Amino acid sequence: MLWRPHHLIRAHTKFDFLGKRKMALFLSTTVNVLSLVGALVFGLNFGIDFEGGIAVQVRAKEGTIHLDELRSTLGALGIGEVSLQEFGDASTALIRVQRQEGNAQCVANADRVMKRRAGDGWSVKPGPADTGDVEFTAPSGLDSANWRDAVSRVGLTAQERQLPRGNTNIARIDMTHDQRAEWCQQVAIKLVEDTIGDKYDFRGTESVGPKIGAELMHSGVIAVIATLGAIAIYVWFRFEWQFGVGALIAMLHDVLSTIGLFVLLRLDFSLTALAALLTIAGYSINDTVVVFDRVRENMRRYKKMGLVELLNFSINETLARTLMTSGTVFVAVLALVLFGGPVLYSFSIAMLWGVIVGTYSSIWIACASLVYLKLRPEQLRPSEEKSEKAKA
Amino acid sequence: MLNLQRWQTIAVITFTALAVLFALPNVLPASLLDHLPGWYQQSRINLGLDLRGGAHFLLEADLRSVLNERLTNLSDSVRAELRKQQVGFKDVTVDNGRAVVVTLRDEAQRAKALEAIHTVDPSLAVSGSGDAIQLAYSDQDLFRRKKEVIDQSIEILRRRVDETGTIEPTIVREGDDRILLQMPGIKDTTDLKRKINQTAKLTFHLVNEDIVSAGSSAPATLPPTTSLVPTREGMQQLRATNPKAWDDIQKADPKLSPEQICRRFQPQCLPVFKRVVVGGEDLDDAKATFENQQSGGRPIISFTFNAAGGRAFCAATRANIGKRLAIQLDNEIISAPVVQSAICGGSGIITGSFTTQQTQEQALLLRSGALPATLSIIQESTVGADLGADAIHSGTVAALVGTALVILFMLAVYGPLFGGFASLAMIVNMLLVFAGMSILGASLTLPGIAGLVLTVGMSVDSNVLIYERVREEKENGRSPFSALATGYERALTAVIDSNLTALIAGVLLFGFGSGPIRGFATSLTLGLLTHLFTATIFTRMLLSAWVRWRRPTELPI
Repeated sequence: MLWRPHHLIRAHTKFDFLGKRKMALFLSTTVNVLSLVGALVFGLNFGIDFEGGIAVQVRAKEGTIHLDELRSTLGALGIGEVSLQEFGDASTALIRVQRQEGNAQCVANADRVMKRRAGDGWSVKPGPADTGDVEFTAPSGLDSANWRDAVSRVGLTAQERQLPRGNTNIARIDMTHDQRAEWCQQVAIKLVEDTIGDKYDFRGTESVGPKIGAELMHSGVIAVIATLGAIAIYVWFRFEWQFGVGALIAMLHDVLSTIGLFVLLRLDFSLTALAALLTIAGYSINDTVVVFDRVRENMRRYKKMGLVELLNFSINETLARTLMTSGTVFVAVLALVLFGGPVLYSFSIAMLWGVIVGTYSSIWIACASLVYLKLRPEQLRPSEEKSEKAKA
Repeated sequence: MLNLQRWQTIAVITFTALAVLFALPNVLPASLLDHLPGWYQQSRINLGLDLRGGAHFLLEADLRSVLNERLTNLSDSVRAELRKQQVGFKDVTVDNGRAVVVTLRDEAQRAKALEAIHTVDPSLAVSGSGDAIQLAYSDQDLFRRKKEVIDQSIEILRRRVDETGTIEPTIVREGDDRILLQMPGIKDTTDLKRKINQTAKLTFHLVNEDIVSAGSSAPATLPPTTSLVPTREGMQQLRATNPKAWDDIQKADPKLSPEQICRRFQPQCLPVFKRVVVGGEDLDDAKATFENQQSGGRPIISFTFNAAGGRAFCAATRANIGKRLAIQLDNEIISAPVVQSAICGGSGIITGSFTTQQTQEQALLLRSGALPATLSIIQESTVGADLGADAIHSGTVAALVGTALVILFMLAVYGPLFGGFASLAMIVNMLLVFAGMSILGASLTLPGIAGLVLTVGMSVDSNVLIYERVREEKENGRSPFSALATGYERALTAVIDSNLTALIAGVLLFGFGSGPIRGFATSLTLGLLTHLFTATIFTRMLLSAWVRWRRPTELPI
């Protein structure tokens, strides 16, 4: 044998886990309430997936990024709130621009972009205020070819049902306010490109219009609820209802405290973060199910053992595997945190936290819930009940 | 029982070998791959746009204004028909997005009015009472029309963005009114948007019959009003008989004019007047249909102009009965039907000896002038190739480091034998995931790589559950063989229960997620499914073989 296996913990531990359940309850309640309050007061740092907006990754053509200079240049463009952060290394930055509203300023911006990209003779003006209409004026007569080419320069796509007719150099495009807001995303991207394009390379651009953002938010919330519900129902069917409720409480605990982590660290809450949330819910229940499985087995074997003792016994019996399974995932996720790059950073940090908190909640939340849900009330022996009360 | 039955062993080995076989093309060097059969070369995982670089657009079609336009046209026709049938009406208005409302002057004429409306379009849903009649399109009709608009838009987009046929864009319908457009390797989206906006140029010209009747189809000199344009049939013949000429035409820079093509390569050509009778932007719709039974029921193409187009077309056809009208799309004549009569109602038909397939093709070509609905970009994402390369690099490093750490951990805790078997099973599992993704043609995204790394960590978990159970059974004084057998048997429910919960999360994530997140859900779900096989049956096979070989008195776990 090359080397001997190492037991992660010595066999037959006898920790009184559930004796500490009041303390755990206090700790978890505090963390969760703080998470909830934090999320409500400070809000989550929603990424553009949910908020809508623009994210551009730029790299300085020479030297490092000057964030302050960049911030003041872009802040003066009239495209709303712009936030910047270094991304990965000192010559790369992530620029985030808020969701565009489709206001008059946007049309003025479109005018600037049009003049720069299609020529000084062009101009763009808003139509009547009660519509989202936009009016394009060409330097000379409009024909369908130069018109199409020109509007594509300001990011308008395929509006050919509204081609100008007859001998004119003015074309009006009918738009609702909502449609104009979607288009203004394009205008803002062009404006940023025009403004800083000579000093920076554009490595990647992402734009999410107001409509999609709202939809993704909606389906994200449904996804979380559906996942938690489906898993709880599965556990309920495989075990008993108390186990299902215990699992649900443990998952809610993990999800909520992960949200708290996002608030605390101001991490970007994007679609990948949502994926992390769902994965944490699914994964944290792994350990829980392993403990539950043993509890169920021991309930059959030790018909007269009190619930707290039985739970403690089961947790101790499965402790090694709980720590091992979490350990393997922990080291894998650690590699993601360290080497996975900036795009996956929020996701990896959340997962790392999820692995830890999921292990904790399997023991102190899921199992403690079984005590409070009186999984085996009558079978507590009198002596056990007394010592219970004495402790309390 | 620990031992697998013979068929189980054979199944495990075959399955594993197949996994290796199908995963292999992903890592083989291109030089070697070239010598292998094509189907095998294609068994590779596609990289998602976030890894290979490219542009992704989500376009939304403005179906509401299409419907309104259609209702407006309907109100025009109804008004005209009521007048023709001498039904008095106060007003015909369009209730935006819903219906056309007719208000009659005299309630008594309601039956007559309904009859008139029936001749306009028998499929309309008619409601209302007294002097008010509401006309709406049926749900089926609206649904069909929506689908038509989107399908047609997709077809047109494909023609526009992939003229050369080399970019392999993904253009698919998403939901009710959206189109997903993905172009790998594209970075300049301004150019792409210009292409999307570029319509095929559809025009109607009269054929200069004087030159045709003079004999030669390509005379040396032409009057300045006339030019030569190749027919589509002629070009296709040329492509079949003289591929080199076809190639030269496609590659020519600057592009050859139609007349130059006719002169140089002599495909079938027609002399047409340069003056445009009607432009494609005035064509509202064209569809493949059939003549009525009395006339023979042949496949025909029917088309509709807007008001301006209708007037121009009426005047031109009235003056040129018996002559041919050439329909030119870009630089080819797709059809040159003979004008049978003046076509003045704004709509007409093209007859000829067509097959159904031909009429469908021709109708599609006619429609490919203009997009049927305004498309706006509601989501866009562009990833430069170097950003994608960075992502691939960091993803690969994270995956390798993660795998190494997990293997070290397993070896340290369960020793070289058990730890080694679990690690081997995990590696086979990753091969299975790669094979599965290759076969499914799934895309690997950056979140997908994160899913793979998670799978690495989670797939040894089932072995942990089994091994810990084996340790327990060993401590209970069981013999090595019995400890292994009982360990595998008793750990199974925990293994399945704990993985199914994670699978539930994975499947729901796939259902609700989009884009890169789907990639994450795919690799995670696939990994969890396949590892149920590797962690249980595969390691069991290894261990039972080892037990039979060494007949150990004590388990090194």
